[in-house]
Amino acid sequence: MGSIVEPWAIAENGNTTAKGSSRELRHGRTAHNMSSSSLRKKSDLRLIQKIPCKTLKNVLSNLQEVILGTKLTVLFLAIPLAILANSYHYGRPLIFGLSLIGLTPLAERVSFLTEQLAFYTGPTVGGLLNATCGNATELIIAILALANNKVAVVKYSLLGSILSNLLLVLGTSLFCGGIANIRREQRFDRKQADVNFFLLLMGLLCHLLPLLLKYAATGEVSTSQISKMSLNLSRTSSIVMLIAYIAYLIFQLWTHRQLFEAQEDDIDDAYDDEVTVEETPVIGFWSGFAWLVGMTLVIALLSEYVVATIEEASDSWGLSVGFISIILLPIVGNAAEHAGAIIFAFKNKLDISLGVALGSATQISLFVPLSVIVAWIMGIKMDLNFNLLETSSLALAIIITAFTLQDGTSHYMKGLVLLLCYVIIAACFFVDQIPQKQLIGTIVGLQPKNNPGSGFFSA
Amino acid sequence: MAGIVTEPWASAENGNASMTAKGSSRELRHGRTAHNMSSSSLRKKSDLRVIQKVPYKGLKDFLTNLQEVILGTKLAILFPAIPAAIICTYCGVSQPWIFGLSMLGLTPLAERVSFLTEQLAFYTGPTLGGLLNATCGNATELIIAILALTNNKVAVVKYSLLGSILSNLLLVLGTSLLCGGIANIRREQRFDRKQADVNFFLLLMGLLCHLLPLMFVYVATAETPAALVSDMTLTLSRGSSIFMLIGYIAYLVFQLWTHRQLFDAQDQEDEYDDDVEEETAVISFWSGFAWLVGMTLVIALLSEYVVATIETASESWNLSVSFISIILLPIVGNAAEHAGAIIFAFKNKLDISLGVALGSATQIGLFVVPLTIIVAWILGINMDLNFNLLETGSLALSIIITAFTLQDGTSHYMKGLVLLLCYFIIAFCFFVDKLPQKQPNGFHMGLQQINNFVTGITGTGGGASSS
Repeated sequence: MGSIVEPWAIAENGNTTAKGSSRELRHGRTAHNMSSSSLRKKSDLRLIQKIPCKTLKNVLSNLQEVILGTKLTVLFLAIPLAILANSYHYGRPLIFGLSLIGLTPLAERVSFLTEQLAFYTGPTVGGLLNATCGNATELIIAILALANNKVAVVKYSLLGSILSNLLLVLGTSLFCGGIANIRREQRFDRKQADVNFFLLLMGLLCHLLPLLLKYAATGEVSTSQISKMSLNLSRTSSIVMLIAYIAYLIFQLWTHRQLFEAQEDDIDDAYDDEVTVEETPVIGFWSGFAWLVGMTLVIALLSEYVVATIEEASDSWGLSVGFISIILLPIVGNAAEHAGAIIFAFKNKLDISLGVALGSATQISLFVPLSVIVAWIMGIKMDLNFNLLETSSLALAIIITAFTLQDGTSHYMKGLVLLLCYVIIAACFFVDQIPQKQLIGTIVGLQPKNNPGSGFFSA
Repeated sequence: MAGIVTEPWASAENGNASMTAKGSSRELRHGRTAHNMSSSSLRKKSDLRVIQKVPYKGLKDFLTNLQEVILGTKLAILFPAIPAAIICTYCGVSQPWIFGLSMLGLTPLAERVSFLTEQLAFYTGPTLGGLLNATCGNATELIIAILALTNNKVAVVKYSLLGSILSNLLLVLGTSLLCGGIANIRREQRFDRKQADVNFFLLLMGLLCHLLPLMFVYVATAETPAALVSDMTLTLSRGSSIFMLIGYIAYLVFQLWTHRQLFDAQDQEDEYDDDVEEETAVISFWSGFAWLVGMTLVIALLSEYVVATIETASESWNLSVSFISIILLPIVGNAAEHAGAIIFAFKNKLDISLGVALGSATQIGLFVVPLTIIVAWILGINMDLNFNLLETGSLALSIIITAFTLQDGTSHYMKGLVLLLCYFIIAFCFFVDKLPQKQPNGFHMGLQQINNFVTGITGTGGGASSS
């Protein structure tokens, strides 16, 4: 199947990347996964081989593969520390920091485990699994924050994740890639990038309309009526966005699979040393499944700590909750992908870097409707109306990135501009000290409505 | 030298490798940018016959020098406006007259400054010359901005810089594409979109920097103290300015060192030959330097007049200050580049036209604007990046429309026409806009606006919440 070279896939850029026919395909690996795997190291099993008892040996080698199989292992220590700190009631900012650090390797390990499971489930289910679990951390944090009625944290962290993927991850990748390959041509397939931008722009529309609804309201319209309208609109848009996401999955995993495969032929040389060796599954299906469930529980626990302590951390560090959720949380949540994307950019494999950054951004922008629907089920009034500042940052981030990736080539200037944009947006949320009353309240979008609408009319 | 290496990827994408034939140009050696080449289309060869008859050598040299500098442009006819403006000031002629004459006088000066920097580039080598060009290319705009700043006319600064970006993006580019499209209606008009793209990333980044402070004002609720908002806006603007300057420096490195081949204009073999004779420097380094300093002083003087008389001119001509600063000032300041861009478009050398228009817009957006903010910071003036809603909206749409127009690497007259019409619509909008602007004399524009806004909120906001 993979060896069919679609005539139009190689048009446009003229660089026949010889798509398809890859091993990666068979295991349903996405660019996202390949990027994470660059952080893995080959486990050294010699010590374990000396143990006499067979079951113990298996358990130990399994443990070694899962726990020690990443370069981020050292951060695992933060998990028990966070739990300890919590049970002994240390300062909450400390718990917050430790939980954040502990989440970093977990995010990478979940992606490793889904990849392992994909060996058993076949490419399609594996691809689906990857697509869903790729940003499990973000999703779990969002749902837990929702359960705690912290709607603003949900919105901020999801928005921040999109911004960080679009500007920070992509910017650093393009910048490092551009510097490392300053004399070489850096090309990528823009078709794949474009699909992501359509979806991101559609998501933007869904965020923009409820926002504009508030501003369009005149003085006579009652507040409750507006919030009802906005809520209905948000819920309907969420369903439409989820349908779009399903269509995107079908497009990506079945009908237009060849678009999303990374450059294959030349991957082998640079990539062989790391990946091809672990071509066979290193752990069994049920053990992988059990690990996945366990890890998810730990992620949930740490996320619970993060959500519970975010306000105290914000107070004691003197940073606004907006800044912490938009900037700090996503940097931690995306650390694994970030490192992977940069490594591939260094190797001049921009397709993989783009696949990671844009794929992740698209996925998260479609988690937003999922949280709206979950909130609906839980009876919480969450709408798609991010505030003005956040929506405009998102809009410009999407537009700038889309323009940057229009011509299918890259140089370091592009990365630098994206990076500077991220720094400017971060500076904006850092400076922003406008008191946010919405944090505790159920309805976030409501409060800012009164002023600008009337401001427009009186000015 | 470096130019002879034809980078394989420079000719990709557009597939017109044969047409552009990058590199190996003489221009490179003297650090000429597209901006300079465009201005030089306004030059004429000086006729030195009369001077050769002068007996004394010293006098002869002096006269030659004078002739090269003063009479070397087709705009020389506008030079009398300069003494006229100065005389008018001393004789106390009405202020609108001084304003008009100063504007006329600034037009040839802008072109001559670019000529002089080009002459200096013959002595300093390509890189330093390129840097000099990149900095002095919009010297007039920079000087007007800084003088208006010292006079505390923050609104005039903002308006004139915004107007300059708009005029470069829509008017200069629009006329060039329109004229070029009509003149070459049967031929294909191509350009290298890579060069244009770099400018748009930077312009979009600049837009982001203008948008965020604007949003602050609208996000503020009625309870938010105005001082807090203006403080936040100011801090953000100053921080963003530093990032914008970093972006601009990186752009210079990108343009002058690492990716030079992207920015070399199409080799001008045929049409340009008539101008090429001035390949050698016509004036010496020190004399050029002295002239540059002198011209800058005259520009400063005239700019001072312009800034001082703009309100009176606005009242007597019955045009708003914003219309004069956004539309009229930039037309005059950009006249030389404008003419050059159109001439190159006629010759189907769109790369040079684009280099002029977009390069100039980027320079103002990412160099002059943040520099002004930082100068204001040093002077203790509270100037922020918050252009108002109408202005930021116009800027955003101009950047996006122009960026879309230049996506496919070809051009036809329709593109130019649409850009030009957009400019007229925006100009008309500022012409019609009669909303009272208290800011021009005010100390800080950003603050006043917030006050208006907050009173607006408390004025009607109560009604909204009670209903």
